[in-house]
Amino acid sequence: MVTHPDRTEPLRIHGVHYLNARPLWQAFADGAVTMSREHRLVLAAPAEVARAIAEGDADVALLPVAAAASIGGLELVPGSAIGADGPVRSVAIFGERPLDQLDTIALDLSSRTSVVLARLVLAARGLRPRLVGATAAEALSRVGGATGALAIGDAALAVEGRFAHTLDLAAAWKELTGLPFVFAAWFARPGVLAAGDGEAFTAAKGYGLARVAELAAEHAEAHGLDAASLTSYLQDSLRYDLDAPALRGLGEFFARAASARQLPRSAPSTVTAPVATGPQHAESLDRLLSRAADGDRLSGAEGVRLLREAPLFDLGLAADAVRRRKHPHGVVTYIVDRNVNYTNVCTTSCRFCAFYRPVGHAEGYVLSREELAEKLSEVVRAGGVQILLQGGLNPDLRLSWYEDLFRWMKREFALGLHALSPEEILHLARIEELDVRAVLERLRAAGLDSVPGGGAEILVDRVRRRIAKAKCTSEEWLGVMRVAHHMGLRSSATMMYGTTDTPEDRVQHLLKLRELQDETAGFTAFFCWDYQYEKGTRIAPGDGGTQLYLRTQAVSRLMLDNVDHVGASWVTQGPAVGQVALRFGADDFGSVMFEENVVSSAGTTFGVDAREIERRVREAGFRVARRDVRYAWLTEPS
Amino acid sequence: MLDSIRDKVRRGERLDAADALALFCEPDLLAVGALANEVRERMHGDRAFFNRNMRVEVTNVCVASCLFCSFAKLEADSPGAHTMTLEDAWRELEVRMDDPPGEVHIVNGLHPGLPFTYYEELLRGFKRIKPDVHLKCFTAVEIQFFADHYGMTVTDVLSRLREAGLDSMPGGGAEIFHPDVRSRISHDKATGQQWLDVHREAHAMGMRTNATMLYGHIETFEHRVDHLMRLRELQDRTGGFQAFIPLAFHPDGNGMKNLPAPTAVDDLRTVAVSRLVLDNFAHIKSYWVSSTPKIAQVALRFGADDIDGTIVHETIYSAAGSTSPSGLAYDELVRLIREAGRIPIERDTLYNVLREHPRAALPEAAAKVRDRERPKAKRRLPVTDAAADVAVDSTKESSPW
Ligand code: SF4
Ligand code: SF4
Repeated sequence: MVTHPDRTEPLRIHGVHYLNARPLWQAFADGAVTMSREHRLVLAAPAEVARAIAEGDADVALLPVAAAASIGGLELVPGSAIGADGPVRSVAIFGERPLDQLDTIALDLSSRTSVVLARLVLAARGLRPRLVGATAAEALSRVGGATGALAIGDAALAVEGRFAHTLDLAAAWKELTGLPFVFAAWFARPGVLAAGDGEAFTAAKGYGLARVAELAAEHAEAHGLDAASLTSYLQDSLRYDLDAPALRGLGEFFARAASARQLPRSAPSTVTAPVATGPQHAESLDRLLSRAADGDRLSGAEGVRLLREAPLFDLGLAADAVRRRKHPHGVVTYIVDRNVNYTNVCTTSCRFCAFYRPVGHAEGYVLSREELAEKLSEVVRAGGVQILLQGGLNPDLRLSWYEDLFRWMKREFALGLHALSPEEILHLARIEELDVRAVLERLRAAGLDSVPGGGAEILVDRVRRRIAKAKCTSEEWLGVMRVAHHMGLRSSATMMYGTTDTPEDRVQHLLKLRELQDETAGFTAFFCWDYQYEKGTRIAPGDGGTQLYLRTQAVSRLMLDNVDHVGASWVTQGPAVGQVALRFGADDFGSVMFEENVVSSAGTTFGVDAREIERRVREAGFRVARRDVRYAWLTEPS
Repeated sequence: MLDSIRDKVRRGERLDAADALALFCEPDLLAVGALANEVRERMHGDRAFFNRNMRVEVTNVCVASCLFCSFAKLEADSPGAHTMTLEDAWRELEVRMDDPPGEVHIVNGLHPGLPFTYYEELLRGFKRIKPDVHLKCFTAVEIQFFADHYGMTVTDVLSRLREAGLDSMPGGGAEIFHPDVRSRISHDKATGQQWLDVHREAHAMGMRTNATMLYGHIETFEHRVDHLMRLRELQDRTGGFQAFIPLAFHPDGNGMKNLPAPTAVDDLRTVAVSRLVLDNFAHIKSYWVSSTPKIAQVALRFGADDIDGTIVHETIYSAAGSTSPSGLAYDELVRLIREAGRIPIERDTLYNVLREHPRAALPEAAAKVRDRERPKAKRRLPVTDAAADVAVDSTKESSPW
């Protein structure tokens, strides 16, 4: 995702701190490289390096190739890479039985490139084991019987020879294609490198490779490993050249991954024009849109391009095509539930929020059991199936208060409990000094059914810090969802755009959701809306408009190829726009909430509202059904 | 069917009644919209028109009893009935003379007790206050009523009113022309044929007029098609219509309150089909007061090229803030159009360009033209339709899911 390069600032080079990447960046760390301008090196884990270049915080990054493809629009720096031509040792599937006898493989999800490679290799062998995500340690601890594990990096090296069977994935790739495999390479934002800078990276590689033994020894000592084995790993197993065979291997990987809808298809253009300097929009918008409509995975750069340039109708038609493929029955769902805000006392003071009151404020409230009972009874009487329970971060309410509340609710009312956004869960973890999993376990034991996706706003920290300084970071938000999903809880995902965010930020948000969804498949649905300016908020109103809403929803439908449902946010956009949005990729009308203020101000009852919603859905050309929180139909579509 | 219609449209061929009906029945709303947008962009590029106007209703007393009307009162002394004195009517303009609208738009009930000179004086008075103000007054229904009530010919009525300052006529009162519908919803006012005849007269005198259609009540798609065809025929002969304005039926406080209002999908479809069928009308207007500002924005992609005017009413007058209310509404309209990715063009009643505003650079850039100087007070366009009543403002939670 591309912003204009500023060549007067120092070049920001981000490298992965792993040992196997060190030969490529050590020269920068040692100040042994001359470039056209000043540069500085930042080291981090692969996910953070990918985030930095995607969000414009890095100019050149040593990226796993899958991440580069997802981001899109980057230039491949020629000459160096981390790859293997044959066995690599550090990326392998381990098992106590031969591969074809495994029915489950636990995947260490820390490297998407390796996960995609594993999928491709398994598919090529006609194997379809169940793949389950896990942390590295978890994955390996499950190995036994018909369960195997994909392990990556140090974790893989550490268990070499421990299990009866090992499938080295780079070797398997070589066997499959006859080509080397490339795990990572240097990628640059277009235009940041001047002529000659490319060679500096090649020179840096030469510098590092000359010192492999030293680097291995240092690492071996620090981690108590065998230096000779590490040296051999760096020298013999890995291949640092991005030469013609390696480029062919990379191109082959991108092509196969795109056909399997694992990665965006745009990637090869970076490879065939390794030193491209111009814009990479060789593809026509029409072509891009029709690929998107067909379900090709889109890169971030492609998403931004669609958001900025694609005509409204074309976006709508493409999103509608995706909707139709995912939901060929032509049914639009809605849920009957109620949004209950149990407290408005909050310590966070987000700039876009008009709802909260600071601790001690006269208008602060916590709903009493009596008030709650009345609200919930009304929901039950009206045929509602769920309560959406959210509130401020009230320091007086402890975890036990929620547990009591949930137990009471579940005892007294037959309603689903869609409760507490990640922010509230983190808040509880903080005040109880527990980890997120422990909090979620206790809440679930007390009755929590699913987690609402609120508070995501824009999952780009630069934006979050400006609109909600005290709010959790993107990683924290995603982290809570990851834990919840791994526990089997389902959640929705949301996006609130239109504060200080750019189209690039919005697409980055979608990419982060998509990536987590690849890992957990725990998001049921996605909703977006624009920031709602009102009295009491402290951000200028956005000039979003209806077109922007429809465009954003349509692009979200196209980007989030792994999320089943997209909802029309009629509550924020109004039912008229909500109805139109059904033709822009949405298959759900969200919740027919009935809040007392809605009911009384419109002077109507719930029944009329639901009928009205149903009429609008039908008039838009769909059948309509009520659903539960997991999108199961509760009524026959009609 | 859609393919053959698309071919016709691209060849510049006229659509027939069967095509029009097929478009109304086509399930793929976006395909119809995209086609209408093609035509709209061929005619107007990215331009979208609006004007600065003000509306005056001097009386709501009306001898007719249209089923859909929640405005009229049968007797001058019925509760809620009001008739302005000439001075009161003129004052409406006088108080706005520091930032005057270019157009005064007057429509009234059919008042049985006023002399014809009242209307003549009314027009003269506005022209005295602002000689160059454009007076767009009296629907064809009113003109026909004047002719019947005061025993004159339509030509005489129009001549005398023009003499007094009438510049053009609005398009109201058309409802649905077809007698099967009209006899049920508007049995005691000008017939469809009379409505068309009045406009023909006006056009013959060199006056420009608009046309409307009230849809979404008891009429069928066939009736809508018939309505459009009759308008197109007359326009072929006179060329006097400027804009066509589809008006959605609103079931509030009237004799058809048990009917649901048409939904946004119908609103957009009707705009689109109108654009495609009325090939001899220069402009299709999505009247934001009727369709809501949000849907008017979308309509600018479904065939509409005009969203009507600032429509300053005294009710908007009370809006808080330091800028004048007409200025406020003006900016909002410009913003509305820019957000829709179009170029805002302020026009006069006859579509002369008064001011062209810069467009937003990209569809997305709309989000970047944020007016940071905007005062803190809530500044929303008044929303008159049902869309506003449902929860839109009641979601205090930042994230309802
Ligand atoms: S955390 Fe939620 S309730 Fe608290 S200020 Fe932010 S948006 Fe409002
Ligand atoms: S003629 Fe006009 S004012 Fe009179 S009842 Fe009919 S619509 Fe209402």
